[in-house]
Amino acid sequence: MKAILAVTAALALSGCASLGVQPWERDVLARPEMSLDAYALDAAIDDHIYFSKEASSGGRGFGGGGCGCN
Amino acid sequence: MNDNDTLTATLAAATCALLGSTIATPATAAEADQWSFDSSLLYYGESDDRVQDVSAALSAKRNFEDERSLGISLTADTLTGASASGATAMNTPQTFTSPSGRAVYTTPAGDVPLDDTFHDTRFALSANWTQPLARLYTVAAGLGFSTEYDYRHLGANLSLARDFNKRNTTLSAGIAWSQDDIDPVGGAPVPLAQMLDVGNGTSKRSSDSKDVMDLLLGFTQVLGRNTVLRANYSYSKASGYLNDPYKILSVVDPLTGDTIARVPAGGVLGPTGVYRYESRPDSRAKQSLYAEVKHSFGAPVLHLAYRFMTDDWQIDSHTLDARLRWPIGAASYIEPQLRYYVQSEAEFYRASLVAGQPLPRYASADFRLGNFDAVTAGVKFGHRTASGNEWSTRLEYYMQSGDVPRQQIIGNQANREQYPDLNAVIVQFGYSFRL
Repeated sequence: MKAILAVTAALALSGCASLGVQPWERDVLARPEMSLDAYALDAAIDDHIYFSKEASSGGRGFGGGGCGCN
Repeated sequence: MNDNDTLTATLAAATCALLGSTIATPATAAEADQWSFDSSLLYYGESDDRVQDVSAALSAKRNFEDERSLGISLTADTLTGASASGATAMNTPQTFTSPSGRAVYTTPAGDVPLDDTFHDTRFALSANWTQPLARLYTVAAGLGFSTEYDYRHLGANLSLARDFNKRNTTLSAGIAWSQDDIDPVGGAPVPLAQMLDVGNGTSKRSSDSKDVMDLLLGFTQVLGRNTVLRANYSYSKASGYLNDPYKILSVVDPLTGDTIARVPAGGVLGPTGVYRYESRPDSRAKQSLYAEVKHSFGAPVLHLAYRFMTDDWQIDSHTLDARLRWPIGAASYIEPQLRYYVQSEAEFYRASLVAGQPLPRYASADFRLGNFDAVTAGVKFGHRTASGNEWSTRLEYYMQSGDVPRQQIIGNQANREQYPDLNAVIVQFGYSFRL
């Protein structure tokens, strides 16, 4: 599994060399709401609610936990 | 400012923006040596007097020079209300010994049994530090601690990210470890032991513990001027005491499906039926694939996320989450949100245990390990003040509905509610500010 991931990552990385933007084309991506980590507190609250009500957790970040609710 | 200066400033801003795709949000020159805060007050309320939670959270971040940053977050929760115990509904009232072993509670005829002795207060504290390690590397480390009346958690995590392709691509790897101590009210039940009369603690033992190790591999890619993608693979292994100490199963008649009646010992209160505490395996390995994309259509921003999770308890789940941030004027926005979740049941999920049959090694009637789907629909409204602070309000409705596999429904159980639907309202107020 790890080997497959490593190969996939390597392929993706070489493929990605043609993707992306130049540094001066970052205007839209620089907007705070375009950050993938924008509104981290909302995301943490959601993770905590769903962790205690559903059998799945994590994915976006580490698996959550630290709660006796599940 | 001449053209060269303008270009330098643009490049500096762009360079900072590039770092936005790494673990932490970067510090721009203006943000360095400043604290920024996110605060939130949350109400979560389930219908039918089930769980109610009021939670206050404060997260603080301080940016230092050279893109180093410190984050600290504090949360306090108070939980009250009733929670489904796992026992099946009956046409007669049912009496149970409360988890403390010192009292009883009774569920009316026809109702899905809820344990209403449920209340807790939780405090959580976490801190993390992020800094560049070399020109293209970022390292982040964190510690977390939380405490409840019956639970204590200690965790640590470390991750490393490297940028490639003019920082259009970021690869990251992280590891997290946690150790949790569980000290349930009245003691941790012996798995599958029978619920006993008030004052008889022989089916309970003292506290227990579990540890969890998480691995996370991440990939972030700028797809274009308006689009960014993130994909993660994660593996999580939990070992130790994984039961919910407050969940039980009814032991039922093989023909009628009714709970086997029981009479408490003379002069003491106790359960009026035969109930056994649940038993889960002492390890669980989960794997998940997660992908999210953000795309800007001019001012509006669409955020789509999907997660597939599978584990060795045979639970598979799919989660889809969509949000569309729509600006209203220059300072406000409205963001409708829709989430769909579906999971299959754990291989040891059982609505009840059948009297006269050998006990299975593992069994749980916890609805959260059952077969269900859930929809969250909501809307968030945000407004940025003239001073750059932002307040927001979020209103969501969470609807969970499931079913018990048909082959598990015995006799009279078919005429009763088997799987209580769960509906909850979530209201959140947020305020973000800088000092």
